[in-house]
Amino acid sequence: MNRYLENVAVRRVLAMVLLASAWEVLARIGVINPFYAPAPSEILRVVFSLFIEGTIYNHLEATFVAALAGLVIGLALGIFLGFAAALVPLVADVLEPIMLLLNAIPRVILAPLFVIWLGIEISSKIALAVVLVAVLIFFAVYNGIKDVNQLFVDRVRTLGGGAVVLLRVVSVPSVTAWVLASLKVAVGFAFPGPCVGGFVAAPRGLGYLLQFAQSTYNAALTMGLIFLIMGFVLVLFFCAEVVERWLLRSRYRGTDRRVT
Amino acid sequence: MLRVRDLAVGYGAEPVIEGVNLEVAPGKFVSLVGPSGSGKTSILRAVSGLLTPRSGGIELNGSSDSLGFLFQDDALLPWRTARENVALGLRIRKLPTKAAESEADAWLARLGLGGFGERFPHELSGGQRKRVAIAQILALKPKLLLMDEPFASLDAIVRTRITQELLNWVEREHLSVLLVTHDLEEALTVSDTVYLLSQGPRARILASYNVAIPRPRDIFASRKHPNFAPLLERLWNDMSGAMNGAEFEAQR
Repeated sequence: MNRYLENVAVRRVLAMVLLASAWEVLARIGVINPFYAPAPSEILRVVFSLFIEGTIYNHLEATFVAALAGLVIGLALGIFLGFAAALVPLVADVLEPIMLLLNAIPRVILAPLFVIWLGIEISSKIALAVVLVAVLIFFAVYNGIKDVNQLFVDRVRTLGGGAVVLLRVVSVPSVTAWVLASLKVAVGFAFPGPCVGGFVAAPRGLGYLLQFAQSTYNAALTMGLIFLIMGFVLVLFFCAEVVERWLLRSRYRGTDRRVT
Repeated sequence: MLRVRDLAVGYGAEPVIEGVNLEVAPGKFVSLVGPSGSGKTSILRAVSGLLTPRSGGIELNGSSDSLGFLFQDDALLPWRTARENVALGLRIRKLPTKAAESEADAWLARLGLGGFGERFPHELSGGQRKRVAIAQILALKPKLLLMDEPFASLDAIVRTRITQELLNWVEREHLSVLLVTHDLEEALTVSDTVYLLSQGPRARILASYNVAIPRPRDIFASRKHPNFAPLLERLWNDMSGAMNGAEFEAQR
């Protein structure tokens, strides 16, 4: 077997190229109806024209700002509430049932409610992304603090550390790992907010554009937008990974170094 | 240095230990041995303040700052380097960062880990992690060392070496030690006094033994001392008796 084929990345790219080529050929010879599944070249053309005509930027900006704002606010809110609940039993009593409920339902069903409360502009999209992210992060922090390794707690207490020291040198670092583990999932959660919000009601944004594409039965535009969102989420995944590796360098570093 | 009076520890109906009296005189090395489940660790945890006793008294000559607790698990914080782990206790005692870190480096060097300060715990071997844990405790200059089977997880060679080094340090600095172990030979080679606990629950002290072997001690030479073998046999027989007795009681 060719040694290039033993490389996972090479095999994956090759599989994608093969799939796309087969799709292209089947669409061109008419086996697949281009009305439902346009050829990849057609989808690419539509996406490029969106960028060349410049109509896409306004929508991209709306979705990106909403997703990023939702991610940042959701992270902050989730971390704050998680710590509050883990440290103050009264807060936990109040918050835990609400969070469990919010966690149990598909949170995107709140989209219409936020549109009624906050209007069709960006704030309702941010609110939805915040709720999607905050609930996830809340549980990461809350469970992270509750499950802190008792050995470390005993260790620091016998060194003379009190509650504040414990929080700083044990709880916060343990929770960092939990939050970072959820960060990539959180990135994936931040995008549905503005997108689904856009389906419900919006003057602009990728969700609005998707809704428009669907109502005009424009499969090429629909697929193009889906791939576009995939691409952006992948870029954000990569950023999250970089942040994770840097903050958890004590775990990643030295994995390639020989331990003597 | 330490006097434990009528100590009872445990939750629920039956205490783990009950009516335990023991004493660690200044500069003495004292061991607690006994069957597993006899509450040896509970005694150490009560002395260190990690566990609130049911009843009884713990008199410590000096503040809790004079205690050093060496755990069975090295329990180093994985997100801190060796240097930061050793400096942690010093930082908690309000030493400035710079001073704490240079002090930590000095202790690491003293334990043969000079140049390893930047390593994270997972980049060190089991023996090296144990040395970092020892440095972390000794850096606080404790007067009384509490040790809970600290070397159980190490292989025999490393274990012997670290035990000997720690023993030398304890003898030189005249530290008091309360060691929990299930290894009778280890207890006799290092200790001045050995206490034998009965099988729990309601474990109590069955007997104490004075180990008349001169100091400074060498781990291998101590085993060849004429007092060693008879004492080990007595201790072994008493411990077997304690365990059999408990089994008979359980059967009835």
